[in-house]
Amino acid sequence: MQLRQDRMSSKERMEALFESRQPDRVPIGAMATVFSSKNAGYSVSTAYGDPEKSFYAMLWTAEQYGWEPIPQYFGHTVLGALDFGGRVRLPMGEYEGAMVVESYPVKTENDVSDLKMPDPKTAGRIPDVMKFSKLQAAHDLPVWFFSRSPFCVAANICGLNQFLRWMVKKPELCERLMKMAIDHIFNVLRYWVETFGAERVFVYMSSPSESNQVISPKQFEEFALPYHIEYHNRLRTLGIKRFGFHICGDHNLNLPYLAEVSPWPHPSILSFGHEVDLEVAAEFFPDDIIYGNIEPAVIQTGSPQQVYELSKIAIEKGKRAPGGFILGPGCGLPAASPPVNVFAMTKAVDDFGWYE
Amino acid sequence: MVSEERIEEILMGIRDAVVSYDEEACVQLCKVALKRGIDAYEAVIRGLAAGMDIVGELYAKKEYFVPELLLCSDALYAGLDILRPHLKMEEAEIKGRLIIGVVEGDIHDIGKNLVKTMFEAAGWEVYDLGKDVKLDRFVQEQQRINAQVVGLSALMTTSMLAMPRVIEMLRAEDPNVKIMVGGAPLTRDIAIQYGADGYAPDAVAAVQEAIKLLEAPQ
Repeated sequence: MQLRQDRMSSKERMEALFESRQPDRVPIGAMATVFSSKNAGYSVSTAYGDPEKSFYAMLWTAEQYGWEPIPQYFGHTVLGALDFGGRVRLPMGEYEGAMVVESYPVKTENDVSDLKMPDPKTAGRIPDVMKFSKLQAAHDLPVWFFSRSPFCVAANICGLNQFLRWMVKKPELCERLMKMAIDHIFNVLRYWVETFGAERVFVYMSSPSESNQVISPKQFEEFALPYHIEYHNRLRTLGIKRFGFHICGDHNLNLPYLAEVSPWPHPSILSFGHEVDLEVAAEFFPDDIIYGNIEPAVIQTGSPQQVYELSKIAIEKGKRAPGGFILGPGCGLPAASPPVNVFAMTKAVDDFGWYE
Repeated sequence: MVSEERIEEILMGIRDAVVSYDEEACVQLCKVALKRGIDAYEAVIRGLAAGMDIVGELYAKKEYFVPELLLCSDALYAGLDILRPHLKMEEAEIKGRLIIGVVEGDIHDIGKNLVKTMFEAAGWEVYDLGKDVKLDRFVQEQQRINAQVVGLSALMTTSMLAMPRVIEMLRAEDPNVKIMVGGAPLTRDIAIQYGADGYAPDAVAAVQEAIKLLEAPQ
């Protein structure tokens, strides 16, 4: 879909953002893996199970709604539970929307010391995600590498329930799991860099289990933050320059800590949940591109007028963000979102998103 | 004969063991309570449940987060395991009956488990159906148990779609049952839209919401 005054291609628009120039209009993005597959008439399991169908479903959906074909990912490249030997299956049925962990590789304290590093080329979904990334490269799109933060990957190895208890009672076990998680992430990332070159790889991270709906800011500072810093030290070593961070959920109490160190390259894309006010986000991170943050549940259950109104407010706030702004849902676009509600975001950009 | 001071000391010790998530101390003190002839019900109410009340306050003040709630809950259940066989609980002492479960398609149960703990600590009889619960099962269990409140939990925007369906099914069988929903993507507006009677943003608020529902005129 072409908006009425488009003066830039999608690629030019994103380049402008990363070069701290003003684009023609507010770009639109959506993390829409499952929505896109369903939009193309496929099942939810296709979204995560068939890289080719999933890729083209996203490409067509992005064009249909005028989205920049970014962020675009085929689920997580690295998945703690699966890569380290647990049982994880594709979603199925009417109500599942994500990979389902059936059994965690770490169940007891002893399992932690017995844990082996996964093969960075063959573990879990890595071969399928590599196929997806090759399709991105073939279409001259940024090649996505999507992992959760080391904290979240580690929690996924033993289950969040267990991980949170160990944080208080056995922090050394969490440290060991996080060390293995970050080593694994970077073993796989090196494989991506060797295959595509650092310039083409766009690294994207999310951190739902670090939100203040789960842990305290003090726990965030003690457990999660040191691994964010190490993550970016390693990214710099690999020569990767493009980074996006979905700061998933309510991170309001963590933002001062993140802002103080902000270890990523500037500008990076920082995506926020609806729990964080966009003006607050822009104030904390003036050198980065703020992305968000229409409440996904409203997109799914609300009216097009509601989504349009929320988008208008987000655009008005986001256009004042000094580092730039992308409009999108505050988390993954719900699979069952009515098409007209999804279109309401695009319409709001067409009506209010142009820069003078 | 145990002095009143000593009884008080033991009960406060149980309470504080829950608050400081000291599972071992909680178990030991519950054993001491029984040995000293303290009524198990009193130990539950003035020890374990009083501890969880403080835990709830600390959570509301953002001093405790989920890791602490989980560990306090472990201490509570460890204490309950000791005291429960000695409880002579009359039906009148039960504040209410709750059926709770994470709806079909969703395996995220931390929130549901915390809600369950807060209800149990508040004296409710809780029937926990677990996670990824088929919609029919909520209806079958309600027919069997006749709970005053059914609590539905979902973390995903995909699985929350099961909620209006199960609410409709429950209402068709029992128009008077009070239904509450909760979970990250839910809001009070969505709860109303789905036909639920109540909504709570977290485990601590859930018990108060249920009490309000039961006190509301029919």
